[in-house]
Amino acid sequence: MTGSFLSRNPSVPVMLGAILALVFAVTVFSEAMGGGLSTSFVKTLGMTLCLALAALAMDLVWGYAGILSLGNIAFFGLGGYMIGMWLMAARTRDVVTANLAAQPIPPTPSEIDAAVAGQIFGVVGSDSFPLVWAFSGSLAAQLALVVLVPAALAAVFGWLAFRARVTGVYLSILTQAMTLALALWLFQNDSGLRGNNGLSGLQNIPGAEGVPQAEVALWFLWGSAAALALGYLLSAWLVSGKFGAVLRGIRDNESRVRFLGYPVEGYKLAIFTLSAAITGVAGALYYPQAGIVNPAEMMPIASIYLAVWVAIGGRGRLYGAVIGAVAVSLVSSFFTSGRLPDLDLGPVRLVWVDWWLVMLGAGFVAVTLLAPKGLGGLVDLWSRRRGADRHGADLGPDAGALREQEAEA
Amino acid sequence: MTSLLEVSGVSVSFDGFRAINNLSFRIGPAELRAVIGPNGAGKTTFMDIVTGKTRADSGTVRWGEKGLSLTGLSEARIAREGVGRKFQKPTVFEDQSVETNLLMALKNRRGPFAALIWRPKPAEMERMRELAGTIGLSAHLARKAGELSHGQKQWLEIGMLLAQEPKLLLVDEPAAGMTPAEREKTTEILVEAAKTRAVVVVEHDMEFVRRLNCRVTVLHEGSVLAEGSLDHVTSNKDVIDVYLGR
Repeated sequence: MTGSFLSRNPSVPVMLGAILALVFAVTVFSEAMGGGLSTSFVKTLGMTLCLALAALAMDLVWGYAGILSLGNIAFFGLGGYMIGMWLMAARTRDVVTANLAAQPIPPTPSEIDAAVAGQIFGVVGSDSFPLVWAFSGSLAAQLALVVLVPAALAAVFGWLAFRARVTGVYLSILTQAMTLALALWLFQNDSGLRGNNGLSGLQNIPGAEGVPQAEVALWFLWGSAAALALGYLLSAWLVSGKFGAVLRGIRDNESRVRFLGYPVEGYKLAIFTLSAAITGVAGALYYPQAGIVNPAEMMPIASIYLAVWVAIGGRGRLYGAVIGAVAVSLVSSFFTSGRLPDLDLGPVRLVWVDWWLVMLGAGFVAVTLLAPKGLGGLVDLWSRRRGADRHGADLGPDAGALREQEAEA
Repeated sequence: MTSLLEVSGVSVSFDGFRAINNLSFRIGPAELRAVIGPNGAGKTTFMDIVTGKTRADSGTVRWGEKGLSLTGLSEARIAREGVGRKFQKPTVFEDQSVETNLLMALKNRRGPFAALIWRPKPAEMERMRELAGTIGLSAHLARKAGELSHGQKQWLEIGMLLAQEPKLLLVDEPAAGMTPAEREKTTEILVEAAKTRAVVVVEHDMEFVRRLNCRVTVLHEGSVLAEGSLDHVTSNKDVIDVYLGR
């Protein structure tokens, strides 16, 4: 916790350099610049960077503070919903206005409003804007909500849970319940967010109708890369100072931190809320590239994904979260793309799209048992650092404490 | 004599078992005190009550000149008031360096925001090094605390306590598992610390208590059985019956 920022965070220049190199290479070879990389692949990369940012935020709460939050995917989805409301409202308004302009009698503003509402909410049998869309006309307001809504939900939920000293697996179950409750609420048509249809057409950016998707994909790649870089810098600053030292203390030995006089609940609440805000930003950049956000995105399997990325990448190291998310989601999109020919093994036919989840599960178990440091642990091999032999003792008595095999040397 | 801590008439039960029974205890601002007693006498529960880990069913715990009531305050708040506690098993932050352990413990503002903007000041680094010297860990500042030997961890925890600058130090079996040489050093550290603050040492080992050379409180079944010099209490008939005679 002493020394210069770079000496405390040797991974920062490497990570920023890698992000910059990726963005540069993809831009040069992209379809928009006349290269061979397809627009859909550029979008996949852009989305992968967003997932890496979400994994980074997950690592902050789980890897550093020991809170296995299964609610982070809810914050991710909420970020997407918040930006999606503006995208959909503004885009629909443009289209409707253009259509109505062709009529002999110019439409009144209220006619336009009604037509827009009918367009958006027709699928759920409604024809007026619900209350939650109150700010959907303002980009600035919805951008603020991208951060504020996930942060507010995390703050309220965290305050209740941490104050009651719910920890460990019970806290995980509570956060999962919160996520499921939110998803089920969103599934309802009268939640005002189009039920299971979700928000769609998000890839069409209002005011950029003339710009080809190939170019829009590049914008979002740059935006996602910038967000990941800033998120990495912020996270590195957070965890390498005294704040980070206290967080790690809470992870390994919460009561010791208490008896030193630190208000543990305040620290947990701060990092949980911040993690939610970062995840909201990641979601807001992800869903315009995916084109659609719906409640199915927040089902329990998605929460598990976030945890699996961090675990496979290596818990408690920032680059681990990024590596895990990028590696697993790229391999995942390779196997589920449908381009891989099925494998005929006599009695069994290996359909990759179906078998991928089984492989991922097996990989997760293998990493947990055989290489608890995850992919990030490869860095230790390369830098030839060896962890101390602790004869099987964990680094602390708490449930979230790092295990002996997980510890960084 | 004004007292720093005054526990009076405190009782606490766990599922009907009276762990502490109408216990009264007081200690002055610069005093060393040993608390002895057989297993289950309530020594650790007594510490739990003072530090806010366990709530007393009845009785009062008064603190400082103003007589602040500690019952009902959170552990962190009590720690900030100036009560430091060392656990029986050494509890340090094993994943972090000795230096970080000490710096975290240094008396400072404890809120999340204060921690975010905290940068080590030269005076703080100086104090940290001085403490490391006191506990004999100057050469190990960069090592992870988890790598230290058992005795070194015990010292580190004592060092962290001193860094907190508490007015009262509660120390639970500091000499457990230490070599004779390590015990001697631990005695020195505690006696030195008690010159400027109150120190309560819970201990099983009579030899260690004798070396502390201080007033002794004997607990039995949750209340005070005898109090005085070691020779005084060891010649007390009740004490011999319940504790030493067995």
